Formats: sequence, structure tokens, C-alpha cells
Amino acid sequence: MGKCRVAVTGLGLVSPYGGDLADFFARLLAGESAIRFLQTSDVPVPLAIPFVSCPNFDADASLGRALAGMMDRFAQLGTSAAFGAWQDASLSRDSSEENREDWGVSWGTSMGGTFAVEKAYRELWQRGRERISPMSVVLAMGNAANAHISIQLGLGGISTNHAVACASAAIAIGEAFRRVRCGETPVMLTGGSETPQSYGVVRAWEALRVVGSGDEHSSSRACRPFSADRSGLVLGEGGSALVLEDWDHAVARGARIHCEMVGYGTSCDHSHIVRPEMGGQVRALKAALVDAGLAPDEIDYVNAHGTATTEGDPIEIAALRSVFGERAASLPVSATKSMHGHQLGAAGAIEAIVTVLALREKAIPPTAYLENIDPACKGVDHVTTGRHDRRLSAALSNSFAFGGSNAVLAFRAVA
Amino acid sequence: MESLIVIREFLDSRLGIGPEKVLPEVLLTDLGVDSLMLVELMFEFEDRFNIALDNNLAGPSTVGELAALMDRLRGEQG
Repeated sequence: MGKCRVAVTGLGLVSPYGGDLADFFARLLAGESAIRFLQTSDVPVPLAIPFVSCPNFDADASLGRALAGMMDRFAQLGTSAAFGAWQDASLSRDSSEENREDWGVSWGTSMGGTFAVEKAYRELWQRGRERISPMSVVLAMGNAANAHISIQLGLGGISTNHAVACASAAIAIGEAFRRVRCGETPVMLTGGSETPQSYGVVRAWEALRVVGSGDEHSSSRACRPFSADRSGLVLGEGGSALVLEDWDHAVARGARIHCEMVGYGTSCDHSHIVRPEMGGQVRALKAALVDAGLAPDEIDYVNAHGTATTEGDPIEIAALRSVFGERAASLPVSATKSMHGHQLGAAGAIEAIVTVLALREKAIPPTAYLENIDPACKGVDHVTTGRHDRRLSAALSNSFAFGGSNAVLAFRAVA
Repeated sequence: MESLIVIREFLDSRLGIGPEKVLPEVLLTDLGVDSLMLVELMFEFEDRFNIALDNNLAGPSTVGELAALMDRLRGEQG
């Protein structure tokens, strides 16, 4: 079967700013950070870290109490985002309206139900209980989000989760893209969700010494990708979803098309369990360009992985310079984790949405607080304030994960 | 506290079912209490009254049967 074109017809997310999609992008464009200072005291040693949360998210209101009660927070965020994307795509939640037996869900979460796991262990180890909640498995399991989404939307095709650390959602989106493009299914709901703020998870990340520092006064600027004084990443929770649809199917039903997804490249560094390797990133970038049928000089924007770690940022820039050659110096690049934080497994999804919106709105959000670029990160056109550009036509979104898994998504504007 | 009250509180907080609907003659399945939710409800009961339930306990069908089971178990506990 030949390749189908793939339209992005729906976008939905639980915004860390608390508003809708338009508000989300407007604040990003303005360089507004959603990073706050998270302090929790109901833990053995109180936490105090910069963090991005979704404080306005009301799971009961979004999903109904019964459904919300069946889910850990990561699945609540994901299902809510999925409902938003579905509505944005003008698709009904009533699955009786058409045959959806081959429509699927491809989701990304690296850790699943972190709160359920932690609660269960506290019961077993702290309280010495022999029994824990019978819901523990279904709350914690990594496929909880995609399963609930499939159930609620009546989707009978593949329902799968991809757990690939920071590239989980990007790979989920890429794999969904391939299924639509090859004609296996006309519609895939895809995206990612993550809740890294459970006590153990935060302590585990702190132990890696890659988490950015900040207090109640400076937290908003704690994540400074590519900056000479960057101090590390900032964790964040979230849920983001996209509807990928066969182009002809979308046009036939009169769907609004945000943009076209045109390529997906993936690779593995096969080098080190955490340290990124330029060669692997180069292969993923090139693979995405080849898959999309795009030349380097046709790319108008790269949403970088840009986590603000000491080691990772320069390697990504080096990879971009290697792939884009002379074009690199004028290639607009920004790292929006500077504002929405690093949602780990869900990062690829929120950043795909940012990239799609950039193409649709012809506007590039900045890398916030990038005032002093690290010399090792120079060589591209760092976008440091929101930039409007009517020429924006094609863009890439990068996700480079622990374990060396790399994913690059390519999108093209429809106008 | 009566077992019926425990059941009503659980169904209200977990499934959003108003207490007025939780009547003894009502089938649990009609209230959306499937096998998984029933086990969860029994766990809540164990937790609240510190009673370990037998894994082979026969499942009740109605709210009344469930309340009666809980009352019996609490009575046996003393």
C-alpha cells in the first residue's frame, strides 16, 4: 500500500498555566515561565524544588468522579488531554457514529502511576500491611492511560504505551504516524502524560545531579537551556494529546487541519546508559529529514530537546550543526522546557504541540532566560524572544532520552 | 457506624453516587459496582474496621447483602 498523508487534526493538553491551548501558546510566545517552587512537608525529608505542575487541573470535573477514581494522576492528565484533542478534532465521544474498530491509541509515559506505586509501598513497608488496594495494579500499570482512552473513545485498534524515558511520547507519536501513513488505520490518538512529583521519583532525579537549582524567588528561571550558567533540568507533570488522521479521511469529514506530519526519525546511541552521543542524534535527525523528504535548508524551526543539563545541551547543538552545516547558523532553535519544564515521558507530546502551533501561528516561542549563551552551544540561531515569521513552513521536534533512544518528528505547515 | 453508612460514603466518594440511591434492595451492579470496585469496597471495609476478609468469601449481589455481610463480620470480630 502506498503512503498516505497524515494530518494533525486535534490538539489537547492540560496546561501548566491553567488555561486553554491558545492561552498556553500565547504565554510561551511571551516567554512566561510556568516553573514554580514546589514545597511538600508530608514526606520524611521536606521537598523544595523548582517544578512545573498543573495546579488548576480538576480530575473530577474533567472526567467525572467515577472515572477519575479509576486512574492515577498520570492517566487522569492523559485522558483529559485526549478528550480535549478529540473535541478539538470535532470527533464525538459517541463511538456509535462510525466504525472505530481499527482506530488506535499510541501513548507515551515512562513511569506510569507513580503515586499508586508509592502509596502501595508505603502501606506495605511503613504500615506492614499484607494487603493493599485491589486497584493498585490498574492504577499503576504503564498502559493505564492508553487503555482508558481506548475505552472512553471506543477505539478498537492497537492500544499501546511506549516507555522510552524522555522520548516516550515522541516515539509514541512517531509510531502512530507510521500506522496512519501506511494505511493501517485512518485515525490514531497519540500523546503522553507523566507525573514525576512523587517523593521517590524526585529524590531519584536529584541523586543524578541533573536537576536545576532555585528557590522561591528564582525558581521561574531555574531551567536555562543553552545558557552558560545553566544548572540542570526542571521536572514537570502534564498530559498532551494529538489526533493524527489520514489526510483524505480528514478532508472528507471537513476536519480542520492544524498542519501535516511528514516525518519521523529514530535511532539509538548504543553508547552510554545516560550520556548522549552526537552520532545517534545526527542519525535520528537525518532519518527524520529523509523520511519527510525535506532538505536541511527547508527547516525553519527546531524545537530542541534542550533540557539545560551541562552535558546534553552542547551535544544537541553539535548534532544540529553537523546535520545542518552552513544552514545551522541561521536555523531558529528554541528549548521550551525553559518554560513548561521537562515532562519526561510526556515531553515529546507537549513539544510536538508547541511545534505544530508554531507552524500554524507562524510564531516561534523562545528559550526563556537565555541571556548568556554558552560558547559550546553557539552556532545556531537561538530564539531568545518570541518571534513571528510568516515564512515558517517546516519544523522539527527533538527528543533525546536516557538509554540513548532518540526521536525526531517533522511537521509541515498547511499554509 | 452502620455498614450501610460505610457503603454509602464509599460509593459517594468513589463513584459520585448519592446516598439516597444506595438502598438495601438495589443490585450493586446497577450502581456501577463491578467486580473490581466490589473488591476495592471490601478493602475499604477491611481498612476501616481492621478486619481481614477471607479471600474465598462469596460476593454479595445487593447493597443489603453486602451490608449484612459486613455487619456479620464486625459482629464476629467482637
